[in-house]
Amino acid sequence: MQTKRFRLRYDKATGLLLISPWLIGFALFKLIPILASLGFSFTDFHMLEPDNINFIGLDNYVRLLQDEAIPYLILATLSTIIWIIPLQLGASILLAALLNSPRLKARTLTRTLFFLPSIIPSVAIAFMWLGFLDPGTGWLNRFILMPLGLDGFNGIYSDAAVAILIGISSLWAIGPGMLIMLAAMQGISHEILEAAKMDGAGPLVSFFFVTIPMITPAIFFSLIINLIALFGGVILLDRGNTFSNGSSPFDGYISFWMFDRWDIGYAATLAWVFLLIVLIVILLLFSTSRRWVYYPDRE
Amino acid sequence: MILQSKRRHPLTPSSYLSLRRWESLGTGLFNLLVFSLLIVYLFPIVYMIATSFMERQQLGDRNAPAYPARQLRYEYEGKEYKIYNVPVDDTERELALVVPGLQASEFIDPQNPEAGLIPWDGNWRGLVGVYEFKPTLDNFSIIFRSLRITDMVRNTIILAIITEIGVLASSIVVAYGFARFPLPGGNLLFYLMIATILLPEKITLIPSYFIFVRVLGWNGSWWPIILPFFFGNAVFIFLLRQNFKSIPKDLDEAAMLDGAGPIRTLISVILPQSWPVVITVALLHFFYMWNETRQAALYLSTRRDLVPISFGISNFQSLAPMQNQLQASALLIMIVPVLVLLFSQRHFMRNLVVTGAEK
Repeated sequence: MQTKRFRLRYDKATGLLLISPWLIGFALFKLIPILASLGFSFTDFHMLEPDNINFIGLDNYVRLLQDEAIPYLILATLSTIIWIIPLQLGASILLAALLNSPRLKARTLTRTLFFLPSIIPSVAIAFMWLGFLDPGTGWLNRFILMPLGLDGFNGIYSDAAVAILIGISSLWAIGPGMLIMLAAMQGISHEILEAAKMDGAGPLVSFFFVTIPMITPAIFFSLIINLIALFGGVILLDRGNTFSNGSSPFDGYISFWMFDRWDIGYAATLAWVFLLIVLIVILLLFSTSRRWVYYPDRE
Repeated sequence: MILQSKRRHPLTPSSYLSLRRWESLGTGLFNLLVFSLLIVYLFPIVYMIATSFMERQQLGDRNAPAYPARQLRYEYEGKEYKIYNVPVDDTERELALVVPGLQASEFIDPQNPEAGLIPWDGNWRGLVGVYEFKPTLDNFSIIFRSLRITDMVRNTIILAIITEIGVLASSIVVAYGFARFPLPGGNLLFYLMIATILLPEKITLIPSYFIFVRVLGWNGSWWPIILPFFFGNAVFIFLLRQNFKSIPKDLDEAAMLDGAGPIRTLISVILPQSWPVVITVALLHFFYMWNETRQAALYLSTRRDLVPISFGISNFQSLAPMQNQLQASALLIMIVPVLVLLFSQRHFMRNLVVTGAEK
């Protein structure tokens, strides 16, 4: 006869016990640090003088409002988002549609090869980009620009080169988003597509007016994933971007104050403002989602 | 006349045939499109692989082919001379350049060296060499000599195994709790967990770094990297919980009647039906751990002997190596995750799709 304590019962106490690892982790690694960041943001905490911390009220926030870099950073972050997110979504929808076609040969291998760049370490991508764009020995000049009769590319650290790096690494990060879209496309019932065909819809019409509206939940999910990745968060796959190599300029600016200047107080202030911006963007997205995302349960 | 009748009756047997031919032509064109797209998409990887097997001389040579190659040489009177394609009397001959000159040069014919030097008018710099396919492994041996690759790989594997155990055990237990048990506040805690996925890393990093380094004195140790994984990973918990929920409850209840406790039920009823998603999560974590550089950069920069592979190689660039060595090091770090993905592709691709679709 076993004791009653170890019997399986669906009660709240057992549930709490089971999720307690996450609850403790949440308190230790999320909640307390977030509150501590808020606390730091009201002080002049400097890493080199951890014993001399003074409460300075809203001084850091006043400083942030007067920081001339901030408007530029927000603008730069937004302008990155504006071209990267549509690029990623468009590419992953297009790829998913191609890879979903019954005409495709060697389907699993082709899908894997398109997915493969998503697991390449960022270090390898940075090295590849350095070599590929290298004016002397790289292939961009030799096999792409020169044969087209264009001028050779020389500015390895120019804005254009950085844009190419961000473009490559974001196009190479669409793997998970593409798989989610693919799964959503496979989930569309044949009856709906057949019905569209009977009504005279061609492949393009049925793609834009049946497939796309049906996969809006997947599009929304990928949108959130890609956005969080740009904001320096981690979802599903992380290739280990270095701090200086993040694609969000705002994120890089926080790193600068934290690791180069050791000014914890100001870095925490920046991080909190950044958190608020991210939360506002995500809440806005969720509030518009009711209008364009298709939820089958609601009908 | 014939054309007209075809147009009027589009479904005659002969046009069926052509329809099928159109269909297979379409399939051919479609596959051509997809595979060309794939080549363009993976072009930098092709560059990386080719360059990492090249010798140093090939890098500066603009006429050299894209694959690893070496220009053929011919030994003449105790010295080696490079062989070029030389246009002589409307034909191309493979000749070794003995006396280079901007206006006129002299060559020797390797097939017929007794004929002596052959004079040729023109600038030798315009000539294209004769190459043979010749990959070299020197770049890799240079990396192995200048970096402690085996130590780094060992560190990564130890870290991966420890954190894999921690993150799988904790995530599975928590996911089971979320999937099967009533919790105070209903789904509130679950939504809270989902919300933590959306947090930017920096907001928690600043105090964590301070506590780990200044309060606990864990700078230069693996603790800050390992410890958080023993408290579960929100994305993995989400994926596992979706899967556990799809398993019928009847079996749990049968185990309950047998007097099994929650952990027993989890191990003997739930887990045997969830291997695909558990393996998928394990692979996701492996890719993460192999590619990890941020935490290593924060906590291990003072301990060269403890650094994992990706971070260790990321410093290789500062040693200012040649492009071929740099590309070889890139190939070296990506080969393991790529092989793991290729070996597990059937399993991983299908299950990531399935679990992703549950949302």
